[in-house]
Amino acid sequence: MSGAALLEVEGLSRNFGGLQVASDISLTLRAGDRCALIGPNGAGKTTFVNLVTGVIPPSAGTIRLAGRDVTGLPAAERVRLGLIRSFQVARLFRSMTVREHLELAVLQRDRRTFRLFASVARVAGLAGEVAELLDAMGLGAVASTAVGSLPYGQQRLLEIALAVAMKPKVLILDEPAAGVPHAESQRILDAIDRLPTDLAVLMIEHDMDLVFRFASSIVVLAQGRLLCSGTAAEIAADPQVREVYLGSRADAR
Amino acid sequence: METMFGIAVDGVAYGMILFIISVGLSVTLGLMRVVNLAHGAFAMVGGYIASYAAQGAGLPYAAALPVAVVLTVLATLPLERLLYRRIYGSANELAQVLLTIGLTFVIVAGINYLFGPTLKRIPLPELLTGTVQIGSKAIPAHRAFVIVAGGLTLLALWWLLERTDFGIRLRAAVDDPAMAAALGIRTERLYLATFALGSGLAALGGVLGAELLPLEPYYAIRYIVLFLAVVAVGGAGSIFGSAAAALALGIVDTAGKYLIPSFGEFFFYAALILILFRWPYGFFKGRTA
Amino acid sequence: MTMAGRTASRTGVAGAHPPPAARRDLGWIGIPLVAVAGLAAFWLLPDDLALLTRIAASALFVLSLDLVLGYGGIATLGQAAMYGTGAYAAGIAAVNWISDPFALLAVGGLAGGLIALVTGALILHAHGLTLLMLTIAVGQIVQEIANKARDWTGGSDGLSGIDPAPVLGLFRFDLYGRTAFLFALAVLVVALMVARRIVRSPFGLACRGVKEDPLRVSALGGSPKSYLVALYAVAGVFAGVAGALTAVTSGIVGLDSAGFPWSAEALVMLVLGGTGRLYGAVIGTAVFMGIHHILASSDPFHWMGFIGLFLIGIVLFLPGGIASGAGRLSALLSALARPGRDGGRA
Ligand SMILES: Nc1ncnc2c1ncn2[C@@H]1O[C@H](COP(=O)(O)OP(=O)(O)OP(=O)(O)O)[C@@H](O)[C@H]1O
Ligand SMILES: [Mg+2]
Repeated sequence: MSGAALLEVEGLSRNFGGLQVASDISLTLRAGDRCALIGPNGAGKTTFVNLVTGVIPPSAGTIRLAGRDVTGLPAAERVRLGLIRSFQVARLFRSMTVREHLELAVLQRDRRTFRLFASVARVAGLAGEVAELLDAMGLGAVASTAVGSLPYGQQRLLEIALAVAMKPKVLILDEPAAGVPHAESQRILDAIDRLPTDLAVLMIEHDMDLVFRFASSIVVLAQGRLLCSGTAAEIAADPQVREVYLGSRADAR
Repeated sequence: METMFGIAVDGVAYGMILFIISVGLSVTLGLMRVVNLAHGAFAMVGGYIASYAAQGAGLPYAAALPVAVVLTVLATLPLERLLYRRIYGSANELAQVLLTIGLTFVIVAGINYLFGPTLKRIPLPELLTGTVQIGSKAIPAHRAFVIVAGGLTLLALWWLLERTDFGIRLRAAVDDPAMAAALGIRTERLYLATFALGSGLAALGGVLGAELLPLEPYYAIRYIVLFLAVVAVGGAGSIFGSAAAALALGIVDTAGKYLIPSFGEFFFYAALILILFRWPYGFFKGRTA
Repeated sequence: MTMAGRTASRTGVAGAHPPPAARRDLGWIGIPLVAVAGLAAFWLLPDDLALLTRIAASALFVLSLDLVLGYGGIATLGQAAMYGTGAYAAGIAAVNWISDPFALLAVGGLAGGLIALVTGALILHAHGLTLLMLTIAVGQIVQEIANKARDWTGGSDGLSGIDPAPVLGLFRFDLYGRTAFLFALAVLVVALMVARRIVRSPFGLACRGVKEDPLRVSALGGSPKSYLVALYAVAGVFAGVAGALTAVTSGIVGLDSAGFPWSAEALVMLVLGGTGRLYGAVIGTAVFMGIHHILASSDPFHWMGFIGLFLIGIVLFLPGGIASGAGRLSALLSALARPGRDGGRA
């Protein structure tokens, strides 16, 4: 069932001043894994993503990608090795169109961005692939719209499309459905379903509906610590999780 | 030996002028994060007012100097309200460059309209035209005066920033503007006062330095690069940094003029690149103010 | 939540404007327009060919600045370093070794590109004020070297005696400056086409990404700094060619070709025409130098006052330059022309 280890995180820790936002987190994702990371607001989920992807340096711990230690590598280098994330808050180029975003992502992935005299419109195979990506996310109608004037829900879909376009080995989605109208969130699941089965996906999500539909395993993070992990059924039944996670969610609302 | 001494005196005097003008730029840059390319124009305005006060209105030098400083401050304060306030903050650097270049052009044109394109002098009082004897050496009185004035400016600024209420609030606002505002420091008035301080220093330097940086309409454009370089090396907002950088530039440049072959400015700018490469916020940043 | 409000209002905006990509596709028209306008000026103003030649060469220089600023977001006050280097390289080559005009342009472009590559790699880690200062410093150093290397550059007297061979071996640089202008215009038009190609290439797309959000580009696996350095070098080639073009057509190179005022002036011209549009550089330069020529013949300072007020006005009221003003006006007009449709959509 489970393949080779793609992402191995060991003893990852980080503090902001006095605040311990990640303490001794260890986690392994194998080829084919569909794992959900859940936890109350402020648990340190996004921080964990930032640590793993190299946006902020950890104070302790190691990160291995397909067996290779990437702890000291810059973010862009990890991306080139196939570790891709989406942002919790859509982070896009406001004046560029939807199509241009996907073109840039695909060109960047294939390292064809240093072509100075080729026209983007004529790069072999690009238009077709971009059209497929647009279709998959239902963004075809707004392909030529500048992202700055796009409804937020569609910006979120583009954010996911960008991550998918990168053909990741390990894909980390930080609350992909946040801000997406409920009817559209199925598109995101569909897109994930269409991904090659041999890559590993870690999804951070608050919407438990989505979590249970997506995940084969669930990891619970609270106050920067791994609380427990298990199959969806185990987690759903775990009284400790209900207590900590659902309890504090109820407070937050 | 004599030339070395001459270089030292001239270099330090020149450096002091650069310091007085540049530190004004440094203070506004440090607090308001505005690249004021019109700072040289403010210095020029001060110089022209003094020149007019002395030659046109017949005021003595001792009166023309403060009049020029005060009038320059009064003339530039409305600019803070009308123009500068809109472009504060480091996110605006292109707008800052354009607006202050525009302002510089307008001032250059205005000065030329009022005073013509010829060189203007500020006649020195007799006291400053002779020499003063220090031990066995005689140095020009004007140079000595400029050096003393620069030293006093340095002390006064140090006192103002380290010992007064204004200075405490200013440093608080530089360190953390949001926190300062939360503590009830009225940043608007602080900005206005700092802007006044900046243009007052520019005017002071413009008047004192008229012998070394001659007054003509292109003054504003000709020397601004020097002032900026001093600030970049000294670090925005650092008084002692500005002083050290200005003296270094003054001496290097003066030595270059005396000694052939001279690569003075070349070395200064090469040093500037190396320094900014290594210390992007200036060599002296963080030591004071 | 606020999200809903944002969504609704943005849909409205999206409906009102044509998508920018569709608008940009008409951009190629600018290039033949430049050629036609240049030829028209050639017929109409035969006595001002020296000025027109200077405008064409300067427009190429401003175009190089647009590549850097408009497509890479690098605010620089030192673009003249590349222009001056190109001008001196071509000038020195012309005086000593080469006389073919195209070879001289190549020498200038190479020199400008090299100096940009080296200094860009050194300084482009910086941002904002620090970067601004570093670009100024590079310009000062180039100028200072040119000043000190008198034997080669003529120092403050300038470098003269540049006498290029006929273009393609056929067209002599005549006394009236006809060949010079047509040569400069042709170079400008070709440069515009090349620049347009570059900004629409994968590389240009990546640079626009860096301009907007460098961190997002690195999240896509790109290295923002290497894009910026490459762009700076490419623009350096353009600036170097512009310098060489000035040297070839005017026969002299002066110290001010590398000076801070020339960099600042280029910025002014670019902003006047609008950044990030390529032909904005041509419009801005033509307007700036044209009006300069008219006003400065009475009094250069009137001109400065006028342009100064204009700059202040642009910053306060029109942050995108003349071209954006025109763009906004036409958007406004087209929105007014079909109120019914917009109302229906909102
Ligand atoms: N750069 C930072 N400096 C200081 N504290 C930070 C920083 N980034 C995050 N934090 C703090 O770390 C904690 C964890 O934040 P994080 O964004 O990782 O939570 P999260 O689990 O993603 O929450 P949410 O579900 O709301 O997205 C929070 O208390 C946050 O305030
Ligand atoms: Mg989060």
